[in-house]
Amino acid sequence: MTGSLSESLLATMEKRRGAVAPWLGDLQGQAQEFFKREGLPNRRVEAWRYSDLAKALRDDPLPDATPVFAPELQQAAVAAFVNGVLDDKSSYARIGAVNLRTALGEKDSPLAGVIGKVYPQADHPIVNLNTALLEEGLALRVPAGEKVSLPLHLRFLWTSAGSDRHLRLLIQLEEGAELTVYETHDGAPLFSTVVTEFTLGKGSKLTHIRQESFLAGARQAAVTLGEIAEEATYRAFYFSQGGQFARHEALLKLAGETAHAELDGAVMVADQRHCDNTTVIEHAAPNATSNQVFRSVLAGSARGVYQGCIKVGQVAQKTDARQLSRALLLSHKAEIVTKPELEIFADDVKCSHGATAGELDANALFFLRARGIPEAEARAMLIEAFFGEALDKIESDVLREAVAKSVNAWLTTHAGEAAHVE
Amino acid sequence: MLEIKDLHVNVHGKEILKGLNLKVPPGEVHAIMGPNGAGKSTTSYTLAGRAGYEVTKGEIDFFGEDVTALAPEERAARGIFLAFQYPLEIPGVSTMNFLKTAMNSQAKIRGEKELNAAEFLRAVRAAAKELNISEDMLKRPLNVGFSGGEKKRNETLQMALLKPKLAILDEMDSGLDIDALKLVAEGVNKLRSPDRSFLVITHYQRLLDYIVPDVIHILAGGKIVLSGDKSLALQLEQNGYDAVIAKAA
Ligand SMILES: Nc1ncnc2c1ncn2[C@@H]1O[C@H](COP(=O)(O)OP(=O)(O)OP(=O)(O)O)[C@@H](O)[C@H]1O
Ligand SMILES: [Mg+2]
Repeated sequence: MTGSLSESLLATMEKRRGAVAPWLGDLQGQAQEFFKREGLPNRRVEAWRYSDLAKALRDDPLPDATPVFAPELQQAAVAAFVNGVLDDKSSYARIGAVNLRTALGEKDSPLAGVIGKVYPQADHPIVNLNTALLEEGLALRVPAGEKVSLPLHLRFLWTSAGSDRHLRLLIQLEEGAELTVYETHDGAPLFSTVVTEFTLGKGSKLTHIRQESFLAGARQAAVTLGEIAEEATYRAFYFSQGGQFARHEALLKLAGETAHAELDGAVMVADQRHCDNTTVIEHAAPNATSNQVFRSVLAGSARGVYQGCIKVGQVAQKTDARQLSRALLLSHKAEIVTKPELEIFADDVKCSHGATAGELDANALFFLRARGIPEAEARAMLIEAFFGEALDKIESDVLREAVAKSVNAWLTTHAGEAAHVE
Repeated sequence: MLEIKDLHVNVHGKEILKGLNLKVPPGEVHAIMGPNGAGKSTTSYTLAGRAGYEVTKGEIDFFGEDVTALAPEERAARGIFLAFQYPLEIPGVSTMNFLKTAMNSQAKIRGEKELNAAEFLRAVRAAAKELNISEDMLKRPLNVGFSGGEKKRNETLQMALLKPKLAILDEMDSGLDIDALKLVAEGVNKLRSPDRSFLVITHYQRLLDYIVPDVIHILAGGKIVLSGDKSLALQLEQNGYDAVIAKAA
């Protein structure tokens, strides 16, 4: 298999173990052992059946155009990662965020109790790989009651230059705190992993807008890990255009009563791109709620994957958990794979899952065209409408418009495509 | 303005229109009546250019141009408007945005100047008022949650704003109560002009009391079998299609 890549990754792990902070050496050592045993995730591993990372990394990277980088958010604290290296000139310190490398290296680092401890994933291949290779990142703790008014813009700029990069982000919201994170990925990493660990204290609220506008050759596996305490809310919007390999996992634990997770996904993939959204939501307390709707539009011979697992523990009575996958296929060669999984150990719960896949409504399309709207534009209107409900839920006008811009840019290029398929 | 010559149309491989001939001069209102399944809606969809309505023979001349090969939007921009028998609900597309896009798309295809926001608003408000369409309806997604009557009024609004040269009204009266029927008919009558023609498809004499046609055609078995003045509708009402068609044959 990826012998040479695995070997070179192992060699790098060896070098990085304990390099950022000696106390991290044990954790990194365990992660390295896991990697030695399991290697890169591939389709023989159930959770990676439809997204074979080992193969994607073995394939030649697709050549790419020069990346166009999304503009920096105005009125924000910005953490720019240029090819995976945190630009210390960016303004993240405005809201108290710190360079992870520096913070980990401090004597008696307060992050010792946080990193790898938020919602431990001993058997997760990407979390382990990321831990073993970790060198860069950002950490932010928002004190109790503080409602941070400036959003944090995590701005990842990838060019295919440079080697693989592995970033770690730690976000802690104490009781009643509020924060908005706007995470953008542009360009094409050769291979990157980004692992975000967040903890939400009682009654806190994290809004997470993730916008992946990769070029076609991007190869990334990202994991967002979160533990959500009582009365706290995680409100996420994940936009992705996929890449050569693009996977984002949200692994969330609703740890306190009436904790809530609300996830909207908007996937727009064309050509040969691949985009995987995987979620695992664990209801570990009574009366918690989760709601996820993933909408995908697939053109060309793109492949979308949505795996949604809901786990309801025995104590989690009165759980209300819903998930829905809706796909629009603009071409006969495009494909959506939906895999729902429910593991329920409590008896008084409401859980639902559903999946739909279909073409654009021909009647609606004809109606618009019969009013004089050209086909490509009519298609774009219907696709925009398909995402509309999710976009409307983004509270910030600025962020909603930023995402809408990505949606529209994609539509300009791809909405008319299907017209030539039939 | 409109001349349909020996039109044959297949739907899903089955011939539905079998040599339809029809001529509508400018400024006239022509009604098409006919039994269920006769091909009335097929005629209207074919005129509007819907995919799946395959013209196997014949022509549709519109101002001397055969439009059979044109896309629906091209036909719309040339002035063909179809008011749907069952107007679609389109969630997520606001009525206002739809109206504006439609008007401006047509202007663009015709090479005319697009309306600015203020001109557009003024035009919509004026037309909406006449048809008793509230601001609230305009803000809602297109036809979503509209009653049957509201949908038909919305179709009439679109017609008023798009100012077509030929308006095809497919069962405009279905699902309307008397008051709504009058309102819609009034809307249509206001749009009557020497350079605008109407093709009114209906089953009932009642609509034709309000929108008085110049000519009535009876469509049966995929062809026009009989044409006459408005008294034809009364005969149909009294004797039914079979008797009237048999008598004519
Ligand atoms: N999509 C389709 N597939 C197969 N047959 C069709 C299709 N659409 C229409 N037809 C057939 O074409 C014929 C004409 O239908 P059309 O809808 O034009 O009739 P109509 O005169 O409008 O009837 P109504 O008065 O009931 O509205 C009918 O026999 C109908 O079953
Ligand atoms: Mg009909």
